[in-house]
Amino acid sequence: MADIPDDESWKDWFERYGPKLLLCARQWTRSLADAEDVVQEGFVRFWRHQRQLGGEPQALLFTSVRRAAFDLARRNARRSDREERSDGGGDGAEALFETPLAGDDRRQVIEAALRRLPAEQREVLTLKIWGDLTFEQIAIQLGISPNTAASRYRYALGALRDVLTPADCHG
Amino acid sequence: MDNELRELEAELQRLRPVAPSPAVTARVGRTLAAARRNYWGWMALPLAAALVGWIYLQDRAGVAPASAATRPAAPVAVTYKPVSAQNVWYEQRDDGLVTLANGTTARRYRSSYVDTFTWKNPRTQASLRWSVPRTVERVIPVSFQ
Repeated sequence: MADIPDDESWKDWFERYGPKLLLCARQWTRSLADAEDVVQEGFVRFWRHQRQLGGEPQALLFTSVRRAAFDLARRNARRSDREERSDGGGDGAEALFETPLAGDDRRQVIEAALRRLPAEQREVLTLKIWGDLTFEQIAIQLGISPNTAASRYRYALGALRDVLTPADCHG
Repeated sequence: MDNELRELEAELQRLRPVAPSPAVTARVGRTLAAARRNYWGWMALPLAAALVGWIYLQDRAGVAPASAATRPAAPVAVTYKPVSAQNVWYEQRDDGLVTLANGTTARRYRSSYVDTFTWKNPRTQASLRWSVPRTVERVIPVSFQ
């Protein structure tokens, strides 16, 4: 029995980590609704059972959400592999980001470019840029070496640069 | 990494992911609130167990409870005998990799049981059943080759 009396501080945590968790969850699920479900399940699981474990809480949170995503996939008895399950953050109907850079067009261009990345590169990029994880933490999350994580990250950035025109790159 | 990539990286970092909807936040709040209620329900179990034990000892000693002073003075030796102990394993969950306090990585499994104990009074056939939920966590260190 690992439950402990909770205070209301979970709200601060959820406000701080919720957007990052949701973005990452969308790499591992088919829809925004599924992603929100796994964020809920992963966060609650972390808060009730893992918060007291010590270690880096952010990495634990991502692990918990990722585990919840796989649990959901198993429950849905989907047999396709992880790349096929992922929709890359939705079908494009729902935005991934809320703050336009130099306008909403720019955000849409970047989101479209992100969705076209190979899933394994997009996953590393998301965990690194918006999850604030180190390559070592990403490697543990994904079961790959830190060097592989770093390589995928660089490939992802390179691919984005190739897709985004120079004018895009400077707004 | 060249400057162009660094600029792109910085631009991406300025993007703010969309927050979960208020409905999700509300669901998390409700789930955690329910967990808190369950927690206090669990905390009541030791008290219930102590009460059961006290009644049992009172019965064995043939001592009537204090409130029985108002009853007819016909002492009855009520004896409950344990008749069964059942252990049901109903769930096993793999919580995945966790980081322990000492920094090592481990895999955690969580098994849930319900233990049920039954006592019976052979004279009156009255029975007393006590079910206790129980969770066992196993943490197994892992190493990455």
